[in-house]
This record gives sequence, structure tokens and C-alpha cells, in this order.
Amino acid sequence: MTEFALSVRDVTVRFGGVKVLDGVNLDVKPGEIRGLIGPNGAGKTTLLNVVSGIHAPLQGDIMLDGESIAGHKPSDIARRGLGRTFQTSKLFRGMTVLENLMAGLHRRTHSGIFRSGFRLTRVTAEEEEAERAARKSLEFVGMAQFADRHGTELSFGQQRVIEIARTLISDPKVVLLDEPAVGLSINRLAEFDLLLRRIRDEKGVTLILIEHVIRLVMDVCDKVTVLSSGRVIADGEPDQVRHNEQVIEAYLGKELRARHSAS
Amino acid sequence: MGLFSRRNVLAILLLLALIVPSFANAYQLFVGNLILIYVLLAIGLNVLVGYAGQLAFANAAMFGIGAYGTALLQVHLSWPFYLAFPAGALIAMAVGLMISLPALRLSGLYLALSTLAFAQFAQWVFLHWDTLTFGAGGFKSPPISFAPLPLSKPVGLYYLSLITTVCVTLFAQNVVASRIGRAFVAVRDSEIAAQSLGVDLLRYKALAFGISGFTAGLAGGLYSQLLNFVSPEGFDLFQMVIQKSTIVVGGLGSIAGSVLGAAAIVIILELLREVKGAQEVFFGAVLIFFVTFLRGGIVSVLQQRLRGWDEPLHGTRGTDAKSAPQLRLDEKESLP
Repeated sequence: MTEFALSVRDVTVRFGGVKVLDGVNLDVKPGEIRGLIGPNGAGKTTLLNVVSGIHAPLQGDIMLDGESIAGHKPSDIARRGLGRTFQTSKLFRGMTVLENLMAGLHRRTHSGIFRSGFRLTRVTAEEEEAERAARKSLEFVGMAQFADRHGTELSFGQQRVIEIARTLISDPKVVLLDEPAVGLSINRLAEFDLLLRRIRDEKGVTLILIEHVIRLVMDVCDKVTVLSSGRVIADGEPDQVRHNEQVIEAYLGKELRARHSAS
Repeated sequence: MGLFSRRNVLAILLLLALIVPSFANAYQLFVGNLILIYVLLAIGLNVLVGYAGQLAFANAAMFGIGAYGTALLQVHLSWPFYLAFPAGALIAMAVGLMISLPALRLSGLYLALSTLAFAQFAQWVFLHWDTLTFGAGGFKSPPISFAPLPLSKPVGLYYLSLITTVCVTLFAQNVVASRIGRAFVAVRDSEIAAQSLGVDLLRYKALAFGISGFTAGLAGGLYSQLLNFVSPEGFDLFQMVIQKSTIVVGGLGSIAGSVLGAAAIVIILELLREVKGAQEVFFGAVLIFFVTFLRGGIVSVLQQRLRGWDEPLHGTRGTDAKSAPQLRLDEKESLP
């Protein structure tokens, strides 16, 4: 194991004339839960997109478990052990929940077109194994009862949790979660803290999450990185970040900050 | 499993198909053979359009390439049919793989247009490269004989088509129920999510185009023998419309639906031969009916009415036709 599970070095991304990310650095240790916060338009989702290969960085490097992945294809990066979820539900509509989970095992299964077409015994064994793993992963997130339903029949929050299970099933090293708590009810939110910790402790997965529910970030994250206008303006333990003047300014503006410190 | 489950019905259809030559007259045998050829076409097209979600219009051209390839290898190079037939299919597959390259960048309407342009180009080659293709008049393809076997040519060709179709149907059924089928549907439903799970878009789009090209090529080879004649007009835009109809009527994203849809369309077209002139009108009406009221095709009705019609990766299970697989007509999905 290298020192950092994920290391972003001086990454810059430009869309047209706009620098969306400007020399961003981020080092996440194995087994860490890292929060990524910042005002709207700060570049949080762009950072996840650049790490998962949807955008290529203009400059800088990204290392996953010590190997450079900058500019690689998204599917290639996924195969090296990076999982992610998206802001909106991206469950496959044409598949049941169980089939969605089995699709998540894509990089762990290997039968090619001919073996699959002639359904050799090895394929049957692999399919059975995949179904077992899918049911286990659904149980892990407490969604086993929905295995044969279609995603469209479930609530938005449930779909998001199933997507997390779909990502975890292939044993990724690092998982990026883009606003995972959106759509969760208050009751679910309390369990969600626990789920994130279990993902880290039982699966040994390093988590990086963008989140607007600040209470969740402060409770569950080991460290928090604050982005604003494409730059990292603070990086540290939740308590340090909470009292950082620049962070308060980015969120509340200068005047409110003055009032905040006066009170 | 109900008495009329998918497996039972398909098995009965197969038994029926096996004994067709014992009671059918020459015309009925011809129609039966035509149905088998359209089942091949429908399955290949459904893998590409219904499962992998690639709205391509080149299948009629691949059908033509298979027919021309098989027949011309016999005519120009004197290859025997048993070599020319698979070779024709491989040529169609190679062309399919080639046109999958633009599909990596294009989707929806743009892919439809570029593949349509390719189909017109192929049509043009059939028509105007006289020295190779004998031009607009077409040419006779050398008839095959099943000599050591006690089979007349039409019966032999019928059984060859049946064997090919059964093999392709089973193969496709296994493929769509495997990790490859799930990767196809993942690409169809969300390219971005599919990639995030390690699915390589180019690889799976190419695979889907290759499969549809190969099956269309097989169908073309058989068709050239069924007609004993190859000419450009069999592979035009109307051919493409017929093929699309088979999968829309049968059910997008369903192998059983491809079989039923192909049979239904060929029978409808043959029955309508009686009423010359009304053929196109009635055919159009059938299509409008299915697109408006039965989006999921015949298979969605069977799934609601009968037990045992559930298929893997066919999204209608018990719900209404709205959740049937839909084709995306938009351009690339927006990034999160």
C-alpha cells in the first residue's frame, strides 16, 4: 500500500476560457473518509469528473494507489479500482435491482462473447457467483427486499443507496460519492452515517464525498477539503475547517463574516 | 411456469418448423424459409438497437453485403457455397465493425443519419460497380445442391436456414443473459454510469455492431439462395423499414419478441400481397398501431397475460408499456 490511496497533484481544468480547477492538490490516505465541500460552482463535481476520467486535466497528475491515472479512459480507471456515484440516479432502467448489481461486477467477471454465447459451465458458475455477490451487497446496504424490483419503482433515496451498493460490489479501492445524502429522509440520514463508516471499516474502502448536509460531513469525515472558485482554500480536520476564516468568508461573504466573528 | 410459457411456446414453434416441409406446398415452404431469414435479421438488429441502444440504419445494407458477398464469391472466384456462405457473413461483420467506429462519437439521430448515409452508399455500390456487382439488373446466384443428402434444394435450404436460426437464437439468448448483455443494456441506459463500472464503450458498441453484421450477413447468404438471384432493390430503405418493424412489433430488447415479430411481419406482408396497392397502407397502419398503443410489442402483452414470459434484461415485467426500453434520441447525455 502506498502512502496515499488517491493523490491529486496540481490539477488544472479549463472549460473554454474559464479555469474550473486551478492547481488543486488533494491527498487522501487509505481508509480515510474525506469530505469535499464548497459553495456552488466551486468545482467539486468537476474534480470528481477529472479523477474518474470524464474530463482530462489540462495539467497536473492524479495517482490512484501510486499509479498515474490522469487522462485515462473512465472505464480504464474504473477497472483499476475507482468507483463513483452521480448526483442524479443512474440506475439502469431496463434492469432489475439485482441485474444492476450484477452489472456492477463487470470488471470482476471475465466470460467473453463465445463463452457466454455457448454458455459453457464456467459461465454458469460465474453467473451464480455474481448473483450471490449481488444479493450480499444488497444486504450490506439493507436493500435486499428490492432485488427483483425495477429502479423506477423505488424512491430517489433508495435508488442512490442501491447505486452505492452497485459500486461497492466490485471491491473498489476508492469510491467517490457525489451528494449521496440527497433524497434521503431524516430517519435514513441517521443510518447513513453508519453506512459510510461500515463501508470504510468492513470493506476497507477509502471514501471521498461531496456533501451539502454539513452535519453529515462534520460527523463522519476524518478530514474536510474546502474548494472555492476552483482552488483549495482549506484542508484539515472538521473542527479546524469549521473555524477557518477563509471558509466562513467563502460561504457567508465578508460582511456576514464580520458579524459572525462579532457575535 | 405456465403451459404457455416462453420456453414451451418457442419449443412448439420449433417442432412445427421441423415438420413444415412434410405438409407445405412450394409457396408455403418459401414463406417459412423467409420467416427464418427475418428471424435472423430481427435478432441481430434487436441486439444492436433493443439491447445496446444504437439507433443504426445499416442493417439492410449488411443484409445486402451478406447476399452479394456469398453470391459473388461463388460467381467470381468459384468458391463452393459452404465456404462462401460463412465468408459472406464475415465480410458483413467486418463492415459492421467498421461502422461502429463513428458510433463511439455519435448517438441518437446523428448515428441514425450517418448509418443511413452508409446504407445509401452501399446501395450505390450495388447499383453502379457493374464489373463487380453486375449493376442494376442483378445476377443469378449459382444454385446449390445437397447432393449426398436425399433433400431437394428448397427443403435442404429450409433446414439449413432452420439450423442456422436455431443456433443464432440460442447463442443470442445466452449472450443477452450474460455479463455481455448487461454491458449492452448499461451502455443503452447510461453511457456514463456504464463507463464508471468499467464497461469500455468502444468495445461493446463494436461487439453489438459485429453481432448484428454477422447475423445479417448469414441472413443475406441464405436469401441469395432462396431467390437464386441477387439484385440491389431487395436491400433498400423499405427493407430497413421492414426489419425495424419486426423488432418494434415483436418487442425491443427481447429475443423471443424478435422471433415472434419477424414471423408476424412476414406473414402480414405475404397476406397483404392479395390486396395489391393496399399493402403499404395497411403495413403502415399496423406500425402506427404498435408504436402508439403497444410500445413494448407483442412480448409485453404476453408478459402481462401469461406466466413464464419474463426475460432477463427486458424491462416490462408486470408494469405497463411505458417502462419498455426506450431509445434515446437526444445527443450525449448531459454530464452531472
